[in-house]
Formats: sequence, C-alpha cells, structure tokens
Amino acid sequence: MSLIDRVDDASSKRGVKRAWLILVVLIFLVLIILPSVYVLFEAVSQWDLISGVASDSGKMAVIWGAVGNSFSIAFIVTIIDVIVGIPMAWLMVRKNFPGKRYVDTLIDMPLAFPTAALGFSVAIFWGVPQGLDVPGLGIVLSPYVLVILLHLIFTYPYMVRTLSGILEQLDPNFETAGMTLGASRFTAVRTITLPLFRAGLVTGFILCFARSLSETGGTYIALSLIGKQSTFFTGPTFISELKHQAGSQAAMPELILISVLLIVFALLMLFVAKMMMDKVKIPWSKVWPKFERRISRGLAVKMRNGLSSLFLALFIIIPSFFIFSFLLIDGPLPDMAGLFKAMGISFLVAGAATAFDIVFGIPMALYIARNKDKSLGKALDMLVNVPLIIPTTALGLSLFLFWSSASLPGLVLVILGHISFTYPLVVRNVIGAVEEVDPSYEEIAKTLGAKPFQAFRKVLLPVIQSSVLAGSILAFTRSLGETGATIAIDPTINTVPIYIVNLINKFTEFNNPDYAYQAAVASITLTAVCFVLMLAVKYATRRKLGGLRHD
Amino acid sequence: MPHIRLENITMRFGDITAVSDIDLEIRDGEYVTILGPSGCGKTTLIKIVAGILRPTDGKIFVDGKDVTKVPLEDRDTGYVFQNIALFPHMTIRGNAEYGPKVHSVEEGQAESTADEYLRLVDMLDKAGHFPKELSGGDQQKAALARALASGSRMLMLDEPLSALDARVRMELRYEIRRIVKRLGITVLHVTHDQEEAMSVSDRIILMRKGRIFETGTPLDMYRSPKSIFAAYFIGETNLMECTVESKRKGGGVILRLRNDVPVNVSKSKANVGEIAILSVRPEHVYTATDGLKAHVRDVVFMGTYWRVRTEAESQDYVDYNIPADSQVPEIGEEVYLVFNKKASRVFKRPKEGLTEAIKLE
Repeated sequence: MSLIDRVDDASSKRGVKRAWLILVVLIFLVLIILPSVYVLFEAVSQWDLISGVASDSGKMAVIWGAVGNSFSIAFIVTIIDVIVGIPMAWLMVRKNFPGKRYVDTLIDMPLAFPTAALGFSVAIFWGVPQGLDVPGLGIVLSPYVLVILLHLIFTYPYMVRTLSGILEQLDPNFETAGMTLGASRFTAVRTITLPLFRAGLVTGFILCFARSLSETGGTYIALSLIGKQSTFFTGPTFISELKHQAGSQAAMPELILISVLLIVFALLMLFVAKMMMDKVKIPWSKVWPKFERRISRGLAVKMRNGLSSLFLALFIIIPSFFIFSFLLIDGPLPDMAGLFKAMGISFLVAGAATAFDIVFGIPMALYIARNKDKSLGKALDMLVNVPLIIPTTALGLSLFLFWSSASLPGLVLVILGHISFTYPLVVRNVIGAVEEVDPSYEEIAKTLGAKPFQAFRKVLLPVIQSSVLAGSILAFTRSLGETGATIAIDPTINTVPIYIVNLINKFTEFNNPDYAYQAAVASITLTAVCFVLMLAVKYATRRKLGGLRHD
Repeated sequence: MPHIRLENITMRFGDITAVSDIDLEIRDGEYVTILGPSGCGKTTLIKIVAGILRPTDGKIFVDGKDVTKVPLEDRDTGYVFQNIALFPHMTIRGNAEYGPKVHSVEEGQAESTADEYLRLVDMLDKAGHFPKELSGGDQQKAALARALASGSRMLMLDEPLSALDARVRMELRYEIRRIVKRLGITVLHVTHDQEEAMSVSDRIILMRKGRIFETGTPLDMYRSPKSIFAAYFIGETNLMECTVESKRKGGGVILRLRNDVPVNVSKSKANVGEIAILSVRPEHVYTATDGLKAHVRDVVFMGTYWRVRTEAESQDYVDYNIPADSQVPEIGEEVYLVFNKKASRVFKRPKEGLTEAIKLE
C-alpha cells in the first residue's frame, strides 16, 4: 500500500480530517498572522521607550512625515489608477482592435519587473541622473512626484486586471438593455455597469493601495538616485534607512512606532474600504442625456481611447523599459559570482516560501471557498487578507521581533517573512478557482466511491491546477522582487534586491557611476528571470481560459 | 406606426456567415415569430433589427426610413432578453423608469409612465421589489414593462420565455400577445419552440442555416408546409420514402412505399415515376381493419393521449395517437394503418437526401 493510498484512506476518517484542518489553521495563525501583527503587542510592552519617542517632537515630525507621505502617495496613486484604469479595462474587455493581445501582455509587463529595477528605471527616465550619462528627459522632479510616478507603474496592472476581471463576468446585456431603452453608452456605463462592479473597484483599490504602501526597494533606489534618500522618506524607506544605520540586530523604538502606525492605519483603511463596499452609494440615478450623449460618440471616444493608450505608453511602459538602455552602453560588469550567489539565495527563499504556500495554502483555500457561510470560514477569509495589506517592511520588523527570542538563523526568518506576504496570493487565487468549480463534481466522485483526498487529487486538482500554478508563480516572482521585508528582518541576507540596494548605497556613498551601472546590470538580470516566469503565468492562465470557456 | 423592412441583410463574424441575404417585411402591428433550431441565426437577425449588431451588408428600413446606421440608443426599439437582464441594483420601478429618464422625461412624469406600464403587466404591487426577490415569470413581466415604458413602438423578444417554468411559460405567452395587441405594437419574437410560435404569432418565419426557409401563418405552415423541413420542424410528422405510381385526372394519387405497399393520397408535388417523400402527421394516422400492416413496437403515455410507435411492413416507423381513455394495443400486436388522404403531403425527394434535409444544424 503506497503512501498516497494511505492518505486516501485516512482522509475519509472524521478525526483525521478535523486534525488536518486544525493543523492548517494553527500554522496559519502561528506562523503567518501572529508574527505579522506581533509588533502591536511589542509596542504595548515597550510603551515606556516608545512614549519617549512620541514626546520627541523632532523625531515625531519625521515619523509623521514619512507615514503621511506613504498614505497620501498611496491614495493619489490609487485614485489615478481608478481614473485611467476604468477606460483601459473597458477597452480591453469590450472592444476588439488589432494587436489587442500585445497590449494585453504589455499591461502585465510591470508585474514582471522587480520593483528595485523599476525604481532604477523610473528615476533615470524622469529624474535628473546624478553622475549617469544616460539621456533621460531630465526634468527636475520633487521626490514626492517621482515616487508617485514610480508607484503608478506597478499598481496600474493590478487595477486594470481587477477591473477587467469583474467586467468580463458582468453580463454585457445589462449595458445593452440600457442602450435599447435609449441611454447613451456613457450613461449606461455610469448608471448600470459602474454600480455593478463597485465590489471590483474596492478590491482594486485595496490591492493598489496596499501595494503602494508596502513598496520599499524601488522607492529607496529611486530616491537614492536623485540624492534624496536621507531627506525624503516614505514609511518603508524610513524603516530601511534606520535599519541600515543601526545594523541587523536593532529594533529601536522609532522602528516599532512607525511600524505600528503603518499597520494600524493600513488595517483601518482595509476596514473602511470594506464598509464602503456595502454602505456608500454613488449618486448614479440622475442623468444628463444630452451631455452624456455627446461624450459617448465620435471625437470624445477617440480622445478617451487615445489618452488611455498614451498614458499606458508614456507613464507605464516606456519608463519601465528605460533601464534596458544600459545595455547600449559599456561599463564594468558587477561581480558575477556575487550576483549569482545572490540569485541562488533569492531562489532558495522564493522556492521555499512558495512550496510552503502550496502545501498549506491550498487546504486553507479549499476550506474557505467551501465554508464561506460558516463563521470560521468568514473569519479566515478576512484574516488571509491581513498580510496582504500590511506594508512588508512593518511586517518584516514585526516578524523579526516575534522570533527574536528563538534565535533562528536569519535565512529561516527571511523565508518565514516571505511566506507571510506570498501566502495570501496563493490562497486568493485558489479560492477564486475553487469557487468557480461546481461542488457537485467532487460529490459525484464521492458517490462513485472516491475517498475525499482521492476526489480532490483526481477531480478538483486537475481543474484548478492552472490557478494553483498562476498563484505560485505570482508568489515566487513577488518574493524574488521583495526588498522591504528582507531589509527589516535581516539586511545581511543577500538576495538580489538587497544586492542591488547595496550597490546603489555604494554609488551614493562614493559617487562612483560604476556602481550604478553594476546595479543596472543586476536589475536587468533579475528582470529577465522574472519575465520568463511571468510568461509562464500567461501561458498557464491562457490554457485555463481555453479549457473552461468556448467562444 | 412602424413597418419594418429588411433588404439583403447579411452578417458575417470572421469566416462564419450567421445570416445571409435576408429580405423581410413586417407590417405595422404584426406579431411575427422567427422560428428555427439553435444556431440558425435567428437571434443574430433580431439583434440586427434592434441595432445591437450592425449588419455586414444590407439595409434596414423603419417606416421607409433607412435606420441601418442609426445608433442603438436612438432606435427606440424595445428589447426583452432571454436572461431577463433587469438591472439588479434598481427596484422594479427603478428599472421601468430608466427608459423615460434617459429620454429626459421629468422625474414625476417618468414615475407615472413606469407605473402605467407596470400596471399593464400587473406588476404594480411589486414595484418596490428588487429583481432577485421575484420569480422568473414576474421578472420577465417587469422586463416587458421596462421595454414598453421607454416609449418604443417595436418590440424584440429574444427567446423571452425559454428560461421560465413550463406552466409560467404558457400563461405568459398569451399575456404578452394580449398586451402588445392592445397597444398595437409591432413584435418580432424569436423562439426555438414551435408550439410557442404556433400559438402566439400572426406569421411565422422559419429560419435554417442563416436563411429564411419558409414563411406563412401558423395554420398554413401546419396544414400545407412547402418543405419537408417545415413539415418536420413545425408539428410532428411521419416521413416515408415512396415512388409515385400514378395520378388520376380527378385527383387522387397512388404511391408505392417500400416493399411495394400501395397508399392513396389526394395530391403530390412529385411526378409519376419519381422517388418522393410522404409526410403524414401522427394525428392523421388511424387504425382500420385493412391498410398498411404494422407491428406495435412501443406505447408511450404523453399526458393527454397515447403515442403508439409501429414498424410498418414498408420498413418505416409510423407513429399515431389514440385518446388517453381508450384501449391500448399490446407490444407486438398487429395493426392496420390508414392515412388521412387530404392531410397527407408528398414532397419531391430532396437532392441532399432526407437525413440532411431535416437535420437541425
């Protein structure tokens, strides 16, 4: 009797099922949720130290400034994403035009770029390059605007993807019905389609906001390249700057305080957004037929489509790819052995984290998807989002404090940290897939005599495997590109993003452009790796669509 | 009042031609049903008439005016969807008000128009409900009121009843006809249900493979179909291969079925000596003491009558009906069948063969 047969048999026993569920939930709570928010408890127990900081108005001004920058930037970025994302999503779902497939791929591109590489690329495209002889546009930008321009790039795909996902599921007959009743296209979209995808709008909002709030490496690099890294802070770059100054073992009260502020405001934000989803109503019932008719046709439509495409090209695609211009100039190659060693560490961390996500994330996703009406299912469904919304730098610090007494090796801690913020990606993807599968398939398998685990392996898993794969690759690339959490946990664990950040630090320290060049080459290498993985996602999801739909 | 005329309408999606060369006139106030098997292009055709799709070729005239390029929202054509498509975030009244509102009608006026049509479909007492709180039939009534309240004088019904329960379907179809006839609205109704088409339409348009195959009143289509496909698709029929042996001057034709079995009918479209197809509806087959010898193979209770399936000596399966309360024959029993001469139709044998001629797709 093979191991799998044993598992099959065991899976039909009530006790085994319950024990497995308890194990999965415990692991989730103890290894993922608790460490993510532990800093809140630490803040209470170290209140004396923290209140010392809180009463220091000089330090507080910097902290409030950083937190304020983080949230206001995230907010502005997300609002812009909504404004430019809606027409783009609409264009991608409802319109057919030549080359649509390529535009579709282009929109996803920024997801394949590690943010460290993006930060580099954006800074040299928009900013005045310091000591770099690369022809950018050379506009002198305030660091605030530069960070917004950077964050737009990696949040934009999330918004467009989320909105077009919802739009695809909406029955186009609603809009058509509105138009047969005499509504112009714009009126129909505003009064019928938009209210119906409010939920998607809120999800997109949360995703973009959280992503912007969390981003560390790219922001830090972009700020370094324009020489503002020690005068202008976002929450996460402030944490990494302090961590750099203090060394790997330190957890000073400022760090705890700013992490707590970031986490509390982020969770508050999640809560408010969820409330908005049910409560707030847009005043959609009023219509202005003549005006709306005018902007539904002809020139107005062409301009809207044109502007959407222009935005995509000028603010998203070209700045992302600008880093490749380094391939055109010669410079000293980085220490390749060091780079490949860093690559090895990155892969080890990402691989271990993803493997963990798959083993313990799928059962969690199954439970949540099938038990949404139970209170445990609901609670877990909410909790899974928590690590997604917490800025990874704060999460990293929190996790570092949680395990500080256990004296685990730094590498293990980094892996645990990466598990925390990648786990929700896998779970979310699998929940989405499982919800679309009719539970009667598994029930039929069971009526035919399959044991629960057998039914899962032979019936459900083949149907959802492309989503599992897509979620895994998403988790893997996200881990490869992560800077903030690694810095906050242990900056001596030399993953590729850390390697790049260190080169940039040397560049600003010694003002030697060779270091910047080496950082660019390392970024391009990491980007290339991520591209390959991203293409795999594309391939996996396309097969999924081909398998389930026929049109 | 609207009079619709289609000229050479053709619609292609890539390499696929969904409808080709459709010419059609619908008179003012006429209730026309487009009937056909799934995939015959009937939904594409009314979407073109409504303005949801723009035809690849051809023109649409409403009251003599070319509306082919008029955008959907200016067509003033009510459309009722198979999946109902009531706006889920608005109440029934909100849905019905939508048309008047987007036509710049004042708030109070819009509400009274909405209520007027909701009363007409007997849904006024449920005006405050949201669509998901109502049954399918009620939802579709509300959708009808919504389409009418926008002030359109033409109504497109896109399989409006196929998502509903059998009983509701029956009641609602007469209800719809009663309402639109009272308002004098021109209706184009798409369905694959021949019984539905027969019972509500002034005229049926039978479509097949993207073309109009035959048109006529329900009674004409039933009594004297011009094609085997029409005979087969509208109502039910027994089809038997035969040759025309002789035609008498005063009427009356003698046919030979397979195995040389003779049958008399009144008239034939095929000439003497030709191979032909005899079509006799089950309700026109009777048992007698003499005639076509057959053995009973199966007896099925259809709810209001018995359907008896026999295998005739001509090697054809021939079905006939007997009343629910009559004596049912035993399986294997020998019976003699005669056909109603006047109701029997003889068609020329189609070149593509019988199977191909009655194929649904």
